[in-house]
Amino acid sequence: MNLLEIQKLSKQYEEKDVLKDINLSLKKGKTLGLIGPTGCGKTTLLRIIDLIETPSSGRIIFNGQEIPKTKEEQIKIRRKMGMVFQKPIVLKGTVYDNIGYGLKIRGKNKEFYHDEIKYLLDSLGLSGYEERDASTLSGGETQRMALARALVTDPELLLLDEPTANLDPQSTEKIEDFIGKLRGERKTTVIIATHNLIQGQHLSDEIAILNQKIFQIGEPEDVFRKPKNRFVAEFVGVKNVKKGISHIVEEGLALIDTGTITVYSSTALEGKVYLSIRPEDITISQSKVETSALNEFNGEIKEIKDSGGILDLKIDVGEVFSVFMTRKSFADMGLTIGSQVWLQFKASAVNVFEV
Amino acid sequence: MNEIINACFEAIHLLITLDPEVMEITLRTLYISLTSTVIAALIAVPLGGYIHFRKFRGKRTLVNIIQTLYSMPTVLVGLLVFLIISNQGPLGNLHLLFTPGGMIMGQTILVLPIITGFTILALSGVKDEIKDLSLALGASEFQAIETIMHEAKYALLGALILGFGRAISEVGVAMMIGGNIRGYTRVITTTMSLETSKGNVELSIALGIILLILALIINLVLNYVQEK
Repeated sequence: MNLLEIQKLSKQYEEKDVLKDINLSLKKGKTLGLIGPTGCGKTTLLRIIDLIETPSSGRIIFNGQEIPKTKEEQIKIRRKMGMVFQKPIVLKGTVYDNIGYGLKIRGKNKEFYHDEIKYLLDSLGLSGYEERDASTLSGGETQRMALARALVTDPELLLLDEPTANLDPQSTEKIEDFIGKLRGERKTTVIIATHNLIQGQHLSDEIAILNQKIFQIGEPEDVFRKPKNRFVAEFVGVKNVKKGISHIVEEGLALIDTGTITVYSSTALEGKVYLSIRPEDITISQSKVETSALNEFNGEIKEIKDSGGILDLKIDVGEVFSVFMTRKSFADMGLTIGSQVWLQFKASAVNVFEV
Repeated sequence: MNEIINACFEAIHLLITLDPEVMEITLRTLYISLTSTVIAALIAVPLGGYIHFRKFRGKRTLVNIIQTLYSMPTVLVGLLVFLIISNQGPLGNLHLLFTPGGMIMGQTILVLPIITGFTILALSGVKDEIKDLSLALGASEFQAIETIMHEAKYALLGALILGFGRAISEVGVAMMIGGNIRGYTRVITTTMSLETSKGNVELSIALGIILLILALIINLVLNYVQEK
């Protein structure tokens, strides 16, 4: 069952579009990574979901119920959610006071939740911090306290807005581990906004690539391997993006003319398209070889970049392709700048998306 | 020079022996100024809160006017209240002129702008994120305002102490509205003014020391509170 559904949601600030036509749904117990560059509207979307801000148009359905209009009714729904902001914020008082805030305003006695608070502090590496003045915590500690503060009321939906931005790697790791645990043990439904692709991919069941609108939503693997458009392709760091015109030659096979070369692809798209090939899907040989790969081109090595053990070769076959190679293979083949090589890749390795 | 030193010794004697007149004047001063501050706070803190939390046209101008009124001359407030509560004034039938009640009214008006202004300042000092945080953690609008007030509590206390400091040290309202009636409306500042002109400097110095001690206590409390 969907815990959250968003339909045709838009938000404008002073006639400037911040979010456009957002549609998404999130199943109970799943984690959605909201990924996009800084200023893409992630925070605004989370604030709207948390009912801190109102959208300019569109619907939000929480647990099968459309968000009511009155503030009094909205509180009931907001109290089923928890949010951690990007900037660590502390309330005056001790760590215990901070974590107990959500309980206090719900009229619950903090003392009854003593074990829960202790459990959360222990799990977040803050054992024994109860009586510490919250304003003396470091950024990483504050952010972990903020997680405990949001979780102590056992929210159905946890919203995390760049929870590890500006934190040191150790704090980041602790928070990521904890979020991982949440997914596994508590089955909490989570939306995590991040500009960090690796983090989003690592922590989420599904990711949505956002930049005012959602460009693609799906399982991380799909989004990374098969970006549906140029924005996603560039954002996820896909290399070898070329523009061309596609026409179908037979069922399940298209020929794409880039102007300088023609590339076989298993796409069904026709007309103006972009194509991309992951560098690791391209093989190199020193002579023409008989393989099952439909695409084979001859070219010259123009540039060699060392990116930490793996070499990134730029090979000009009419179009310049980026190809990854281990240092050992490179040495074994005795290659250098100016060497003539053959490139092979399968038609199914050519991802095609609309212009 | 000797006269001054002798007067100081005499003043200390008056303080150590807890001279009844000195004590009576001091207690009356504290009563009037504290009551004024409390009444002013009951009006000014909600008013400052209202101005801070609401968006309306002319807000900036209003805040500027309030800040200008910090330095309103005490004699001007005295005159204003005098006109209101004198027999011919709109509140003449309350017979507040030359009573502690009238003095309290005058001092309340005097410190209202300070407490209102510093309440606004105290609340502006609380980061906007605190409101978002409390809402996100499930607070109602009212609970969020409570939380902001709580975050600003030390600064708010500072505003009250400042108001009290202005009330206790002023002489204009106390003299014009109270009339400096012995045993009834005589307070520290009016006594000092009168006794000095009569040449009775020992009593003035003793009361001056008390006023300074009170100011010191106020400052110590303020410092303590702000360090928190």
